[in-house]
Amino acid sequence: MTTSRETNPNFMNGVPELLILRLLADAEMYGYEIVQAIRDRTDAVIVVGEGVVYPVLHALERDGALKSRRKTVAGRSRIYYSVTKAGSRRLAALAAQWTNLAGAVQRTLAGGEYGHVVA
Amino acid sequence: MWSHELRERLLRAGVAPRHVRRYLTELREHWADLTAEELRAGRNRAQAEDLALARLGRLDDLARIMIERPELRSWTARIPWAVLGFGPVLGLAAAWGMALLILWSGWNWFLGGSLKGWQTPFVPVHGFAVVYFGVGRMLYFTAPLLAGWSMILLARRQRIQAVWPVILGSAVVALLGATGAVDVRLGSGDVGIRFFPPGLQYADAAGHAFLLFALVLFPYLVGRWRHSRPDPVRQ
Repeated sequence: MTTSRETNPNFMNGVPELLILRLLADAEMYGYEIVQAIRDRTDAVIVVGEGVVYPVLHALERDGALKSRRKTVAGRSRIYYSVTKAGSRRLAALAAQWTNLAGAVQRTLAGGEYGHVVA
Repeated sequence: MWSHELRERLLRAGVAPRHVRRYLTELREHWADLTAEELRAGRNRAQAEDLALARLGRLDDLARIMIERPELRSWTARIPWAVLGFGPVLGLAAAWGMALLILWSGWNWFLGGSLKGWQTPFVPVHGFAVVYFGVGRMLYFTAPLLAGWSMILLARRQRIQAVWPVILGSAVVALLGATGAVDVRLGSGDVGIRFFPPGLQYADAAGHAFLLFALVLFPYLVGRWRHSRPDPVRQ
């Protein structure tokens, strides 16, 4: 009998997407704010390339996970992004996947029946 | 400037122009924010701009992360033969449809109903009707060129390097434009487009098609020639 299992193709590939969806679930933001927020909330442990967020934002919007609107603030034209209902569902799924993955890695690092704590 | 080079790279790689435009707008805004941040930290303008650009990312990386996303590619880049081959046909159909609508509505509004009862469409019109019918006629006669040039604009906008889809689209629009003619049913008042109508002179149609083909392609060839010349400003 064969069973199909989901694989984790790339550990870090979905991280910017997950972080962006999580941040935008709280409040609408534009690109610069998002990068600053990621840096602040992760205590600079995760520092994404400043320009990296935009292709992710465009792709998420194209998939219907985000919506955008142009707003002029202090004479500057900003494109603000916010999460849609589909985006909230995607965030929940990604967060569950990531929690599962992080838990598995943590259990492995902590050792168990066959291992020891890895310092 | 970095944004010009990035735009060219992205368009040539097939990224949809709307995504390119928005990406560059966002990057420029982001760069301005980073520059302001560096200025507040006490740098002078030149230093602040350089540091902001370095923080934004290397040009190669900024291009790569966009190009690596296939979902952001334009349809013209994905299937150029379909967009540039069928696009002009749809454009021609739309332009002819609009022209016929204008003519048909004009006959109804200005000539008191359809063509029922008329023995000839050549009837005198006056005042605003002259302008109205003139717009319809102009749209009808220029429709093949408008459709062809729209396709050329699309190809240039996307920096399509392959020549054959443009030649294909130009040939299609020239052939349809030269062999299609407005067909008026005087009895019923119906109007439409008929291809290869009775009495079509094939030699004339071939000449017409060649002329349309040349006129459609002309701006494209000029554009390619100009683009192939070295740019003295950027050297």
